Amino acid sequence: MVCKECKVSRGEERRQAREGESDMRKFYYIFGAVAAIGIAVVGYNVSASVFGSAVSAPIDLDFEDDEALIALAQGMTKGDPDATITIVEFGDYQCPACGGFALTVKPQIEATFVASGRAKFVFYDFPLVDLHPNAFLAARASRCAADQDMYWEYHETLFRNQSRWSSATSPAGGFEDYAGDLGMDEDTFGACLNSDKHADVVSANMRLGRRLGISGTPSILIDANGVRRRVPSNDYRSIALAVEAVSPESSGN
Amino acid sequence: MESGPTPGDANPVAPPTNRMIITILALIGLFVALYLWAHNLGLTGPIVCGVGDCGTVQASEYASIGPVPVSAVGVVGYLTLIVLAFIGLQPPHRSSALIGGLMLGGSAGGVAFSAYLTYLEAAVIHAWCQYCVISAILITLIFLACLPEVARLRGRSS
Repeated sequence: MVCKECKVSRGEERRQAREGESDMRKFYYIFGAVAAIGIAVVGYNVSASVFGSAVSAPIDLDFEDDEALIALAQGMTKGDPDATITIVEFGDYQCPACGGFALTVKPQIEATFVASGRAKFVFYDFPLVDLHPNAFLAARASRCAADQDMYWEYHETLFRNQSRWSSATSPAGGFEDYAGDLGMDEDTFGACLNSDKHADVVSANMRLGRRLGISGTPSILIDANGVRRRVPSNDYRSIALAVEAVSPESSGN
Repeated sequence: MESGPTPGDANPVAPPTNRMIITILALIGLFVALYLWAHNLGLTGPIVCGVGDCGTVQASEYASIGPVPVSAVGVVGYLTLIVLAFIGLQPPHRSSALIGGLMLGGSAGGVAFSAYLTYLEAAVIHAWCQYCVISAILITLIFLACLPEVARLRGRSS
């Protein structure tokens, strides 16, 4: 004799099993859809940056003469442009010693000599591209900041955050973040960075440095009275002594 | 007389709805954490931040625990929850109290960690990252979705 209650129970079990598997199928569809959307969104952001067109290496340049090189290899000046003494730095944004110089020595130089108009400070880009793969792009980024009159703020920001972006596989995103934090137009900055803009200027800076015998960073020179002197050490006292030595007051004029 | 259902009959336990919810929420959390981790690695462009100040938070010292980005911790955590919940949806494990207990404990830890990070944003960094807030909401919802697992744990201990 068949147990009718048992037959109903088994039928109910099969119905529940079918419902359960139907629920699982719906779940898999939703899971797949969310996964596809997530992969697309994250993947797009990664590929857009990794395969972006930001020029991050020097370009070859031909110059008719030294005047053409000097005209293109413009440094960034701080202080009175008419000051008779120029304190020159050839620096690399990814160089730790340059970071130390920028954050400790340079402020003292500015306070002592630049603020009073006795000297002006000029920074030339000299990224050591063989050692520091992100340095060229950092230099270009600083020039993009200069387009929005935020060069020195960005210059300091790069050095303050040096340890963060130095090891990044693709630092462009971080550089754009810094621009945003400083209140710059991020679209304009991003368009500049993700192009070849200022690659020629930075490359020319490097060529000028090599022409002057620069091989390491930071390298400090003092231009005054038509003479250029290399400061052998990057500490404040050595630079201050060098500046005093060429000051008009020290020559008795 | 024929007998009733016998052990081994086709799948008498329906897939737990709460575990489906946990899987989907954890999957969303995984992609949020993955995006932040990719940004920390320098693999993305500028962080897309509609609300708040994501850049400040992500650039702060609290964005990493030693050498490990917090986002990487999130990736591992969410991935673990996905795996556990997914296994817990398969027929042999739908009643598993062990999986339920692991998810409950893991999500509780996640809520506590997120609460700490939220405190840091509010009281120390003084900036909000929308992705951190989203992740905090997600892990809280996951924890709430794990509460039915308490019944499974009680059923196992009784």
